[in-house]
Amino acid sequence: MERAKEKRLSSARGERGAKLLFGLCAAFSIVAVFAIILFVLYRSIPAFREIGVFNFLFGKIWKPDWESKVTAGKLEYKDIFGIAPMIVTSLAVTLGAVLLGSVFGVFTAVFLSFYCPERLGRAFARLEKIPMLRTIPLKGFVQQIINLLASIPSIILGFFGLVVIVPIIRDISPNGLGVGVLSAVLVLAIMITPTIASLSKNALEAVPREYFEGSLGLGNTKNQTVFRVMLPAAKSGIMSAIILGVGRAVGETMAVMFVIGATPGKFPTSLFLPVSSLTTTIVQEMGYVSPGSIHESALIATGFILLLFVLLINLVLNFTKKEKLGGDTVFHKKLSQAQKERKGEGYVRVYKQKGGIQTALKWASVAFALTIVFTLIYLVGFILVKGIPYLTPRFLFGESKNGAPMLAPAFVSTLMIVFMTLLIALPLGIGAAIYLNEYSKKGSKFVKVVRLFIDTLSGVPSIVFGLFGMIFFCGICKLDYSLFAGSFTMVLIVLPTVIRSTEESLKAVPDSMREGSLALGSSKVRTIFKVVLPQAIGGIVTSVILSVGRIVGESAALIYTAGSTIKMPSGYSGTGSTFAVMMYRFQVEPVKGLGVNAMYATAVVLLVIVAFLNLLVSLVQKHAGKPKEKTKKEKER
Amino acid sequence: MKQIEKFSFERGVAIDVREMTLYYGDFHALKNVNMTMPERQITALIGPSGCGKSTLLKSLNRMNDLVEGCRVEGVIQIGGENIYAREINLARLRKNVGMVFQRPNPFAMSVYDNIAYGPRTFGIKKKSELDGIVETSLKSAAMWEELKDRLNKSALGLSGGQQQRLCIARALAVEPQILLMDEPTSALDPISTGKIEELCTELKKQITVIMVTHNMQQATRVSDKTAFFLLGEMVEMGDTERIFSMPKDKRTEDYITGRFG
Repeated sequence: MERAKEKRLSSARGERGAKLLFGLCAAFSIVAVFAIILFVLYRSIPAFREIGVFNFLFGKIWKPDWESKVTAGKLEYKDIFGIAPMIVTSLAVTLGAVLLGSVFGVFTAVFLSFYCPERLGRAFARLEKIPMLRTIPLKGFVQQIINLLASIPSIILGFFGLVVIVPIIRDISPNGLGVGVLSAVLVLAIMITPTIASLSKNALEAVPREYFEGSLGLGNTKNQTVFRVMLPAAKSGIMSAIILGVGRAVGETMAVMFVIGATPGKFPTSLFLPVSSLTTTIVQEMGYVSPGSIHESALIATGFILLLFVLLINLVLNFTKKEKLGGDTVFHKKLSQAQKERKGEGYVRVYKQKGGIQTALKWASVAFALTIVFTLIYLVGFILVKGIPYLTPRFLFGESKNGAPMLAPAFVSTLMIVFMTLLIALPLGIGAAIYLNEYSKKGSKFVKVVRLFIDTLSGVPSIVFGLFGMIFFCGICKLDYSLFAGSFTMVLIVLPTVIRSTEESLKAVPDSMREGSLALGSSKVRTIFKVVLPQAIGGIVTSVILSVGRIVGESAALIYTAGSTIKMPSGYSGTGSTFAVMMYRFQVEPVKGLGVNAMYATAVVLLVIVAFLNLLVSLVQKHAGKPKEKTKKEKER
Repeated sequence: MKQIEKFSFERGVAIDVREMTLYYGDFHALKNVNMTMPERQITALIGPSGCGKSTLLKSLNRMNDLVEGCRVEGVIQIGGENIYAREINLARLRKNVGMVFQRPNPFAMSVYDNIAYGPRTFGIKKKSELDGIVETSLKSAAMWEELKDRLNKSALGLSGGQQQRLCIARALAVEPQILLMDEPTSALDPISTGKIEELCTELKKQITVIMVTHNMQQATRVSDKTAFFLLGEMVEMGDTERIFSMPKDKRTEDYITGRFG
């Protein structure tokens, strides 16, 4: 009896302990966001103090004079740090990209939701006769293209900008340069379009079907319905998508770095002027600063300002999300307006079948969607054609002895970072997801705060993660540039993905499973681990794949944490480069003229990996939840 | 099986509900219920939807604890112990008071693992012992013959009726003294329903069964005692035969003669 009682107490303590542990995993995101803000701020203070916040923010000149001269036996510094031109550039480039990206993205979403035929045969009557082509799933294909475009690493987009877009702009540019504001806008627009497109598509598909039928029932044409009822009804979701696009564009580094012109201190007064944005200045100059200098602090402070922008955007996003689907109000407003008109004096009904504008908009959406599809096909095709010839076994698996670019070290470094990152991020993320889905009570404040911080964490630009990793892991934890520091930084980056994806699949596990297990006398912890988690395996696998994709393509966050050597890593405390960092490295120092070719070849490797991971995700999502027919025991027989 | 204390029933009373009241938030779901349920018999709880019969059933092994805002007043005694006392061990309670749900809820595992899940919870790891439990449980659920060759197939591949009987076998695997059944046949076809009813009559030789049912014919076919619920009140309880032939309360009569519900 005594023993039984003791056991009872200890198991209750175990339950509480587990809840606490999961709660801590959930709270980790809050700690991470605060740590990022505080440490980046802490290292910005010297710059703010020395330069003055006002001068720093509104100063028009950026002249870090790192070749300080010795005049008359005295060391003379002449550093001027004003980031006003960079702020304006970042905003201008973002604005341009978001304008373009929203037009393309929203129209593509409209096309996918309303006009894209399921199968190719439906599009053209003539194709109906060719059985091979007729059954091609057109909609799925376009959807896959959008997904693939969304997951292309930004360094590849930057490279594509450098080798394709810049030469085109050079031909039309009056100064014959090519690099500059316009190129940056175009590359960024390509980058954010798929994000805006898929989120807008979700918003459009969330609009109740009744609206569509209701409008058709009133005698509207399909085009009128789509553009005058459905699109306004999805307004708030589309707004969120665009704001998210703003956040991504303003924080993007690698995609713009090669094409913006690297000229800090200039205002973007012309479309063709080479300039520098907040992010590109940080990456380009961080490698040259002396540790502890004001210049270094000024760059970190630049990152801090960027972080503030992004936090602000996230807050805005959080508030727009809170609004309900805007549909009700819009629809009802229109209805009451129409009724009012009808009741007005001297109202005469005029029935006219209008809708010319809407028909034009329909064809616009087709055109925009096709442009996106062809851009991606061209991008992928171009890189494949140029890169495959250089994809020799020696390049892929050789280890460089004399500085010639080879990829074997990238395979090893990437795998090492993937392993270490997942080792930490998976338990943390799954624990947090378990807390959010299994333990949280309705309307819990803590859960709301945790969700806000997870969203915030996922919106932090990778360059800021890089700065934080550099300050905290490399500096304060004394890890120096190392795969450890790189992996720990990547943990913060992939954590929101792991949490969300796991939580989604936990939600999909029916409550009856939990009840069934609890009713057998199982503890909550056992229920979670033996019954709930095994059924949520699809989401966990998806999160692993997405994380791998993120790590493989990440560069800005790793350059100043894991380093960017082209050598084989000596261990987790040594430096190493992932594929994307390797690509960056080949660009920065084109070794013996092989740089560009090596970049093409590395881009091919990256693209293949990304496409493969995308395929895996869709396979997992298709098969997740299906019962496993064979267990181990059966195989033994 | 690892020794888990059993409830000891006295004078043939398995469950004794005294002045029990239950709220879901502001909603008063059960009002001052008093009833005793006899050992090794089948007690049927009947009444129209929303009358509180399922709520009462779920209070008997405290599955209601999972519902947010649920509050219980009064006493429910099983074998003389108040199960809402602070020091009660939920795992022990639920092991001894098993439950079968309205819809079959087999876990996404093999048939074998589904049944072994409960015993494993209580620390049984030996293969030979588990094999024995699986066989006995399936036999007492009268499905050993149909399932013995597909023990390692996924339980989700079984028919609805088979799944529900598997859930019963799964509940039996931890040797409960009481089995709560929440409309166990409402999602099944007539043949499966017949099998489960047969099974219940077989089960009551060993254990106490409390069954919520919508189907009055089912109550008359299988139960020994019947309790009629209406709007959160226990209106009348007695021998099934008596309740259906000469109810004392007008409301019971109205219900069983089909005037409402």
